Amino acid sequence: MSSNAEIERRIGKEYQAGFFTNIESDTIAPGLNEDVVRFISAKKGEPEWLTEWRLKAFRAWQEMTEPDWAHVSYPQPDFQALSYYSAPKSMENKPKSLDEVDPELLATYEKLGIPLHEQMALAGVAVDAVFDSVSVATTFREKLAEAGVIFMPISEAVHEHPELVKKYLGTVVPQRDNFYAALNSAVFSDGSFVYIPKGVRCPMELSTYFRINEAKTGQFERTLIVADEGSHVSYLEGCTAPMRDENQLHAAVVELVALDNAEIKYSTVQNWYPGDEEGKGGIYNFVTKRAVAHTNAKVSWTQVETGSAVTWKYPSCILKGDNAIGEFYSVALTNNYQQADTGTKMIHLGKNTRSTIISKGISAGKSQNAYRGLVRMNPNAEGARNYTQCDSLLIGDQCGAHTFPYIESKHPSAVIEHEATTSTVSDDQLFLCRQRGIDTEKAVSMIVNGFCKEVFKELPMEFAVEAGKLLEVSLEGSVG
Amino acid sequence: MAESFKENQLELASSSQSLPLLSALNAQGLTAFSAAAVPDRKTEAWKYTSLTHLTATTYAPAPQAALNGQLQQAASIDGLNAARLVFVNGFLNTELSDALALEQVTLFSQADAAQQTLISEKLGTVVAQASGSSHLFNDLNNACTRDGVLVHVGKNQQLQQPLQISWLTSSGDSAFAVNSRLLLVLETGAAATLVEQYDSDDAAQVSFTNALTEIVIGDNARLQHYRLQLMQEEALHIGSTHVDLARDSQYRAFHLALGSRLTRNDVVINHNTGGSHSELNGVYIPQNQQLVDFHTCIEHKVPHCTSDEVFRGIMNDKAKAVFNGRIHIHPQAQKTLAELSNKNLLLTNSAEINTKPELEIYADDVKCAHGATVAQLEEKGLFYLQSRGISKKEAEVMMSFGFINELLDALPDEAITLLLRPVLARRFGRDQSLARHLLDETLAGEPA
Repeated sequence: MSSNAEIERRIGKEYQAGFFTNIESDTIAPGLNEDVVRFISAKKGEPEWLTEWRLKAFRAWQEMTEPDWAHVSYPQPDFQALSYYSAPKSMENKPKSLDEVDPELLATYEKLGIPLHEQMALAGVAVDAVFDSVSVATTFREKLAEAGVIFMPISEAVHEHPELVKKYLGTVVPQRDNFYAALNSAVFSDGSFVYIPKGVRCPMELSTYFRINEAKTGQFERTLIVADEGSHVSYLEGCTAPMRDENQLHAAVVELVALDNAEIKYSTVQNWYPGDEEGKGGIYNFVTKRAVAHTNAKVSWTQVETGSAVTWKYPSCILKGDNAIGEFYSVALTNNYQQADTGTKMIHLGKNTRSTIISKGISAGKSQNAYRGLVRMNPNAEGARNYTQCDSLLIGDQCGAHTFPYIESKHPSAVIEHEATTSTVSDDQLFLCRQRGIDTEKAVSMIVNGFCKEVFKELPMEFAVEAGKLLEVSLEGSVG
Repeated sequence: MAESFKENQLELASSSQSLPLLSALNAQGLTAFSAAAVPDRKTEAWKYTSLTHLTATTYAPAPQAALNGQLQQAASIDGLNAARLVFVNGFLNTELSDALALEQVTLFSQADAAQQTLISEKLGTVVAQASGSSHLFNDLNNACTRDGVLVHVGKNQQLQQPLQISWLTSSGDSAFAVNSRLLLVLETGAAATLVEQYDSDDAAQVSFTNALTEIVIGDNARLQHYRLQLMQEEALHIGSTHVDLARDSQYRAFHLALGSRLTRNDVVINHNTGGSHSELNGVYIPQNQQLVDFHTCIEHKVPHCTSDEVFRGIMNDKAKAVFNGRIHIHPQAQKTLAELSNKNLLLTNSAEINTKPELEIYADDVKCAHGATVAQLEEKGLFYLQSRGISKKEAEVMMSFGFINELLDALPDEAITLLLRPVLARRFGRDQSLARHLLDETLAGEPA
């Protein structure tokens, strides 16, 4: 299959997205106070209600303390040393079309393999590219508009569809939900807004690509997806950042609303800069993602987490309506000094709600990887059903894999099954591969890919290929 | 409320004189207890277990109690040819205790020089190993222990008969607290069976038992441990069992929690030297307003150890159960095999279960697995029994019983199985007639 040269090439590979784009940016001075919140709001020309909404969140945030229950340890970020807004200068006067976008920016996305030129774009994927605090381009907007689908930066949606934003913003993740969600609500800069009208099946995959570029900034994006009754949408999210010695903060909020009979599929390939082999630098990824599924609706989270120095992320489903379905498929890989505490929450409120959790954790190097999940059956969740499987794979004797599943049931007819296993890549498996002429590195990669197969098959095809490669790169140097 | 509880307990702790042997432990416990906060619902280990009821009561020192028929009945286990030691409200009852048992055990207050050395060497050290999972009530026990039981089984000595220790409570004039303490030391190659029984008469007075058992198992030694908690439903019970396992030793245990309004049981098993094996099984069946909370922790600190844990629970009425099973594999503990299974049945709409099987693993060449399920009785099984002319209620009793019978049948001492089977069958049956099939079968199965 692959020659030695191929493996050499792969081993030589490091974090590929680690370059920095030298582009003139408009960045505000570090620090956080009410004026900064007002400044961001003014910069975006937001209406009064949203400014007030942000300030309310900011005031709540000031009274909150950083959560410390997760199985991760890191020096507390200095929130006053961060800059909360950074935008490429060339975006000051909003470009009307792609032709007007700074070629330097387009080149950045080109280099990352994200095609913004529509004619070159992969068939059927519309992309919203977010660079530091602003969205630089959204492709295929006209084509989507024909179907009635709204896909635009949330900062524009505030102006063009205020009624929708006002109706749904903060309904799934309230401002004071948790420390980082409150911070995000106060200073969020941009993100994507998606609305799929009643009965519409979104004609193409939607995708947002997040890029942190500027140093000493944090990225706080906010995504809101509303799928109206009977609609369907598949959404992908990708992220990268330059290699730096300092830790950068990324605190996002994602809210999904699936109304009756709607279906949302949300896939993430998270590849923020994980820090170097010594554990220096990397992104702190503190994310709140939550979905509400109404009657007969279905929400599916799929995530491949390979990046970030510290990850704190629990994409959740509130199964509010009867017969609602929640799914969570996750592969979390940590290497070197990475730490991940990730999992999901399935809150069953409605009758006959169903949820499936498949979580695969892989720890290598000196990393710590924890699954933390909650399955709750409320007193009305008659006939509800959950199946959870979380498996961990350990590569190397200095890493850790942990499982903390919380299972709470208040209804006798609810059925919950939870299974977890932890093991290593066994010598037997390796021996079998090597005996057939497959070298160790390749064999480990095959075994790991097999381990993750159940999750990869849930990803859209292009992403699945990408995710497989990403795992190989992230695992390099962890064997032998 | 929490503050007044602490004051009350501190007062109790200082109301009597320490033995010189225990004064260091008492002082240390007192300091730790005064400094510790009473856990509330925000404390992770007490997230689902409210102590409001326990801390709202003011406790008096445990009163001496006279024997009565119920207590006598409780202390006797038919067919178990055991050496028996009986405590009532924490006081040794010589009338009910066997001469044999009195030979085998020593009260701390009557220890000779050698035993005193052993006690001061071991007492408090096993519980201290569980830095993360020890709690306030262990400190309280350290502070309040004025006497206790030492069981010392010498090198290569095997106790021919099981040792039964019955901790009974009987009514007092007002609510009272009992702190009981047991230290069991098995030397190299020793073997024993220990039946710890917590029971009470029907007196409605609130009694608060805070029991702490420390077990040291030497190289190649074996212990079979039963811990049966059958107290009346107004009682409050907090119990901890801490085990220290040496090379190639074995600990097998069966924990049963039936009684008390509030039960909190902590079981911590430390695999401290290679080759040790532990099997921890348990059953909890709360009913009415009862709350049962099991926190177990298996510490694998060295390579080549194995552990197996199975807990089954059935929640009826408005009862609530909490199960937290932790397996902690330290970085050096390669080649560990550890398994845990927790299955639960909810019988009513108001019952509740919160289970959390945890894995914390820092070594790579290990095999660990855990599983947890929550469900109700299977429709198909009920239908099958009903189609054979068994009433629905009776079928439910049979199936509930079957759910835990697997663990009961596997007990190595038949007398314990025979003791518990009717107790449990009646628990499900309530109305005796519903359990008639089960009891008949029990009789039939009994050797003539």
